[in-house]
Amino acid sequence: MTKKMTSKFVLQDIYKRFDDKLVLDGVDLNVFTGESLVIIGGSGTGKSVLLKCLLGLIPIDRGSIEMDGREITQETSLQHEERLQDIGVMFQGSALFDSLKVWENVAFRLINAQHMDRIRAKEIALQKLAAVGLTEKVGELSPAEISGGMQRRVALARAIATQPHVLFFDEPTSGLDPIFSSVINELIRNCVKELGATAITITHDMGSARRIGDRIAMLYGGKIIWCGKAEDIDNCDNPYVQQFIHGQPKGPIQLETDARHVA
Amino acid sequence: MVWALSSIGRVFIEFLASTGRLTLFLTNSLVQGLQPPYYFRQMLRQFWEIGYLSLPVVGLTAFFTGMVLALQSYTGFSRFNAEGAIASVVALSMTRELGPVLAGLMISGRIGGAMAAEIGTMRVTEQLDALITLSTNPQKYLIAPRLLAGVTMLPLLVLIADVIGIFGGYIVSVYRLGFNPAIYTKQTFDFIQMGDVTSGLIKAAFFGFIITSMGCYHGFNSKGGAQGVGRATTYAVVSSSILILVANYFLTALLF
Repeated sequence: MTKKMTSKFVLQDIYKRFDDKLVLDGVDLNVFTGESLVIIGGSGTGKSVLLKCLLGLIPIDRGSIEMDGREITQETSLQHEERLQDIGVMFQGSALFDSLKVWENVAFRLINAQHMDRIRAKEIALQKLAAVGLTEKVGELSPAEISGGMQRRVALARAIATQPHVLFFDEPTSGLDPIFSSVINELIRNCVKELGATAITITHDMGSARRIGDRIAMLYGGKIIWCGKAEDIDNCDNPYVQQFIHGQPKGPIQLETDARHVA
Repeated sequence: MVWALSSIGRVFIEFLASTGRLTLFLTNSLVQGLQPPYYFRQMLRQFWEIGYLSLPVVGLTAFFTGMVLALQSYTGFSRFNAEGAIASVVALSMTRELGPVLAGLMISGRIGGAMAAEIGTMRVTEQLDALITLSTNPQKYLIAPRLLAGVTMLPLLVLIADVIGIFGGYIVSVYRLGFNPAIYTKQTFDFIQMGDVTSGLIKAAFFGFIITSMGCYHGFNSKGGAQGVGRATTYAVVSSSILILVANYFLTALLF
């Protein structure tokens, strides 16, 4: 990146504990405006917890999180609601609403938060569905009637429906076959590029991380142990990173034998 | 001795803490529900689910209860040559007591459990988190419409249950026990007063609130996957059933 980089998110010394389980143990991280940052790490290292802390869904125990230079850990519920207006989230299991049709899921924020006319909102929802390769017919189905891969696409369409400037992706390709994973990675990459958004992706799929990320950070033991350009990850000399990206069973990373860390 | 006291104290403190959490949850939901925007589609859906779709189960329960009531009353009253009181006993029992309580218990099983399961599933599949990130307050969107539907639909269902139950008693009395239809009808309406019906409807509104609060609260706070949702569903049905029976006594004493 040659342009002057401003910070979208600045995380300093984040701690989060659930009873006796220390999940985040002093996380420091800087996310620049317009970049796509991927956070990698094994199962149960606290990646999703970190994401939820950034979204304000889980309060942190200690530390500071700034978004656009404003501290967000002390924000009121109204400020929180306003902040989320410019954020799109794709959840791990898609988290589509079963009681609504596919297009209503995509148009949810337009109708319920922005109070847009349903006809106009449906038009936009169908455009977004088309952008992720789904037809108008799919829009009329319920989420239970479509495959897991299609549900991910719908979740992506819902995340980008209001053209937010910040996008979060939680394990976007987990449980998908390699072809569907590639499709989702490509869609995410294109969407982020077209919107010019700042994107944070949580994954343990290295293929996904390399494809989506400008930078990659690795979370282990509740800390960011490495952060650098995506193309540099293969040459980094951190033994934890090397063990993780090559999927070696032996190395410095200890497999969980107790419940000290959670997802 | 100390161990026993500390155990009792722990249970009591946990009870107070749970009551506090429930009160805060309901207060927040009601306050949120009073403020715009109002989710009319959600409200209509809940009116439909709680009201219209519960009609068969409430109707059948009331119909057979009215029939049994007439038969049982006849067995007892015929020993004292007081068969003439059957019509009023059926009418008063249905409107004041059996209509609201039985409808409440049936709806508790049908709606309270379903609400806890639906909201609990939304919790464990991150749909509640998704609602928040879509700038929608889950308590305003999910809980407030359900509470409103419970409080308004239960009295309507009980009113229908009253009519069906009295009709069930009429069918048995006239076609099985050989009562004169005109006299039976007259006796029914001679003894029943507006207060009998309204006291049952007031009870029903309270029961509706209890059922929906328990279903929503346990579902909203469920955790731990499928097992957690199952536990929430059980808690919702058991707690609302017990609370209905407890509240019934106090409301009866108040409205007596």
